[in-house]
Amino acid sequence: MLKNYLKTEWRNLKKNKVYSFINIGGLAIGMTVAMIIGLWVWDELSFDKFHKNYDHIAQVWQFVKFDVEKSSYNSLPIPLAAELRNKYPEFKEVSVTTYNRNVVLTSGDKKLSRTGMYTESDFPKMMTPKMIFGTYSGLAGIHSIMISESLAKALFASESPIDKIIRLDNKADVKVTGVYKDFPGNSSFKDVFFLASWQLFTSMDGYAKFASDQWDENSFQIFAQLKEGIDVKKTSAKIKDIRMKMNYPPPYKPEFFLHPMNRWHLYGDFKNGVNIGGLIKLVRLFGFAGIFILLLACINFMNLSTARSEKRAREVGIRKTLGSARSQLIRQFFSESLLVSCIALLLCLIIAELLLPFFNNIADKNMVILWTNPFFWLIAIAFCLLAGLIAGSYPALYLSSFQPVKVLKGSFKAGRFAALPRKVLLVFQFSISVALIIGTIVVFRQIYYAKDRSIGYDYNGLIEMSMNTPDLHKHYDAIRTDLLNTGVVAEVSESRGSIVFDYGGTTGISWKGKSPDMYPLLMSNEITFDYGKTIGWKILEGRDFSKKFATDSAAMILNQSAMQLMGFKNPLNEIVRYGGKDYRIIGIVDNMIKGSPFEAVKPSFFTINYSAANVINIKLSSQTATGIALNKIEDVFKKYNPASPFEYKFVDEQYAAKFDHEERIGRLAGFFAILAILISCLGLFGLTSFVAEQRTKEIGIRKVLGANVLNVWQLLSKEFLLLVFISLLVASPVAWYFMNGWLENYEYRIELSLWIFGVAAFSVLLITLLTVSFHTIKAATANPVKSLRYE
Amino acid sequence: MIKIKSIEKYYSAGSLKTYVLRDISLDVREGEFISIMGPSGSGKSTILHILGMLDTPTAGEYYFFDEAVHNMKGKKLSELHKSYIGFVFQQYHLIDELTVYENLETPLLYQKIKGDERRGKVAEILDRFNIVAKKDLFPNQLSGGQQQLVAIARAIIANPKLILADEPTGNLHSEQGREIMDLLKKLNKQGTTIIQVTHSDEFAQYGSRIIKLKDGWIES
Repeated sequence: MLKNYLKTEWRNLKKNKVYSFINIGGLAIGMTVAMIIGLWVWDELSFDKFHKNYDHIAQVWQFVKFDVEKSSYNSLPIPLAAELRNKYPEFKEVSVTTYNRNVVLTSGDKKLSRTGMYTESDFPKMMTPKMIFGTYSGLAGIHSIMISESLAKALFASESPIDKIIRLDNKADVKVTGVYKDFPGNSSFKDVFFLASWQLFTSMDGYAKFASDQWDENSFQIFAQLKEGIDVKKTSAKIKDIRMKMNYPPPYKPEFFLHPMNRWHLYGDFKNGVNIGGLIKLVRLFGFAGIFILLLACINFMNLSTARSEKRAREVGIRKTLGSARSQLIRQFFSESLLVSCIALLLCLIIAELLLPFFNNIADKNMVILWTNPFFWLIAIAFCLLAGLIAGSYPALYLSSFQPVKVLKGSFKAGRFAALPRKVLLVFQFSISVALIIGTIVVFRQIYYAKDRSIGYDYNGLIEMSMNTPDLHKHYDAIRTDLLNTGVVAEVSESRGSIVFDYGGTTGISWKGKSPDMYPLLMSNEITFDYGKTIGWKILEGRDFSKKFATDSAAMILNQSAMQLMGFKNPLNEIVRYGGKDYRIIGIVDNMIKGSPFEAVKPSFFTINYSAANVINIKLSSQTATGIALNKIEDVFKKYNPASPFEYKFVDEQYAAKFDHEERIGRLAGFFAILAILISCLGLFGLTSFVAEQRTKEIGIRKVLGANVLNVWQLLSKEFLLLVFISLLVASPVAWYFMNGWLENYEYRIELSLWIFGVAAFSVLLITLLTVSFHTIKAATANPVKSLRYE
Repeated sequence: MIKIKSIEKYYSAGSLKTYVLRDISLDVREGEFISIMGPSGSGKSTILHILGMLDTPTAGEYYFFDEAVHNMKGKKLSELHKSYIGFVFQQYHLIDELTVYENLETPLLYQKIKGDERRGKVAEILDRFNIVAKKDLFPNQLSGGQQQLVAIARAIIANPKLILADEPTGNLHSEQGREIMDLLKKLNKQGTTIIQVTHSDEFAQYGSRIIKLKDGWIES
């Protein structure tokens, strides 16, 4: 029996090639999208699950209150780690660590710079990297290091890395005690290529040494593993007030809490002391998009099958007179749709395989089809069955209800309302497409709006290099002179931290007229003379730092928003107290975007400090080609700093990276919008061909009565345009609601203006017209004599 | 075999009733060959459809082998219909996507007849109708007469007691028509009861009894 059904359907598919192509192709595309999104969601949901103690690990965070709202930071004071370890039995392991930082590693002639962390000795045991050599106790000795497989290969090639000596930042020698397999791409530690001893770090780094017993130096990370069965929330509540119960509680009122590993990746956002989700919103959004797009493809199937119903009606009638029960026909139509969905699944696997590299590129992922994962196949087949059932449900129930007497006598005409469900489905389909188009336009508008924003300095030809080893810092003046002498460099300066990021802030700052119960956070920037000239900032009032004034070591420059915060009418020469020292304001600069380009610029101040500098900024002169200039600069650095590899970053590229996340969302939305429209248009194309065919006789008669091509085209297109118009009305408010919500994530954002909806409407109408016109014009230009004779 | 009493069929539109059949009573004995004649719209096809259980009368009683069909519902009805009745249509109504062989096989599939027996029956009927050579052709590769031949073969393959033929020769030229009628006559002689609707006086004569309909009434 099944064979009989499948044979009928297979021959049907072969006979109606266009129809089959639209049906199977559309469904395959829909399935591909659903599969790719599914893989993506899977990848996101499995983030960090690599770590064996996934359910018990937490990072310590704190809420602090600088002004009105609570903000959240994972920067913590060092002594908190020991406090948790010693006084709270809930913790199994605790480790204070640095952030993942760039370090120069040298071994023999090889020098590389890689990112890694200094951690306490329990850290490896907590995070369970996969060991190739050595054990988790590799950090027991102070002069030891554990390195990743890729780093081992890069440093030692095929030699055994065990017990080899590596020099870190040209300051200390460590011995390799372990090699671990690189953390996987979906681990929070994927860029940690080595783990070195925390004790070593405090012995090398002056600030860390100083901060070791300071409760108000919040610059380090703390990770902890809870004992089996210990509740994160309860423990959070216990450690909350540790600092505030001590002597001299700080004015920013820190509240410590634990952020569990299973929420790091997807629930990373806090607002005023509450977790408000994070990436999970995107995962949900695209999850829905995937389901909707699959639904679009299923709708095509339903629409085309029912549109084709007049052709199939006769077969239904015959089968009924031959003794088929209705349930058998229902089974027949379901097995047909399952056949189609199975073919579509095969096609989908091929398309997905071809499309994945492209998608990985825009989503910044490394996903593969999980050919060998039984769970993947289970889901794929379940999806295939589900799609087949959804797609087949309407035709199965509708077609099987035909009465043989009516259809066999040839008097069968679909009733006036037979096309209604088809229309509703079409409206639904186009609503989704329209909403996705609007979403894509809004995302890209928002990105361009933020990109268009004045950044307050000039990043063209600006490069920066971090000074890891002591050599550069020692020879700074000589390096600067040599660089300027090359003729390819316009200006050189030093700073603490990169210009692209805020390095750190302080609440320990006061000025005349500051309200005593407010402790706003101001970003502190320690720079050297010539910094302003190097980056090309804009002085709005007063003057730049200058070596000509001996007093400039106690001078301060504010950015505009700091000036507004302090409320000075005439800021010049006002005194600001910071770090136990008085500074005189000598100038005001335009706001420079160092943080998120979607947020207001934070109040910031600049002071001169040569000893804190760890970055060199170089402005290339615009006359020389970049490649030549870099060669000459490299020569200078080789001379003074043979221990480090010559590495530099272009500031413009780093700034552009700030938009990565948003651009990725935009590209994903665009990708899905295009596919949704493609699927919808395929469906529309098929549907118009049926309508044109159905109305061949009517068109013939109208033409005989004197209608011209334009009249007929209007007649046939009108109905579809009306439906698309309704879709616009349905989709616009929905899209408005969601995109407005999305934009509220951004402080610096566009308004949802009417033209965005206009553009979406116009483009959808245009696409519809083009799609529909192919068939309507063909029908309109057909010879009426022919079409009438056929009847 | 068949007994219908005071069958009526009408369509209501508001208070207005449009009658298709009025007060039709008819007895058919097993082995009869009945021709129903009458002008267009006289209700011939409707009677045939009611007898074939494809349509239901608005009023009246219908007994098939003494079973009250007018009280039957869904499954039972379809069971009765598929095991006792074969249909032949003016437009042949073969399934375009299936070959001759597969078309013949379809009713057997619906009766859940097992593979071997099914193949045997199809082979036998192909042989009997002399169309073995055509078994792998599709309907559109056959002439009208050949298609009707296949359609009749399909109608009788499950050994129905009753064949209902709705203008079986209507689309054929007279030579082909005659062959089809001879075939029906032969089947009748072998014991199958046949009721046909026809416009042709010549072909009506093949029947053992002629019933004339006009405006929903039996004239004679």
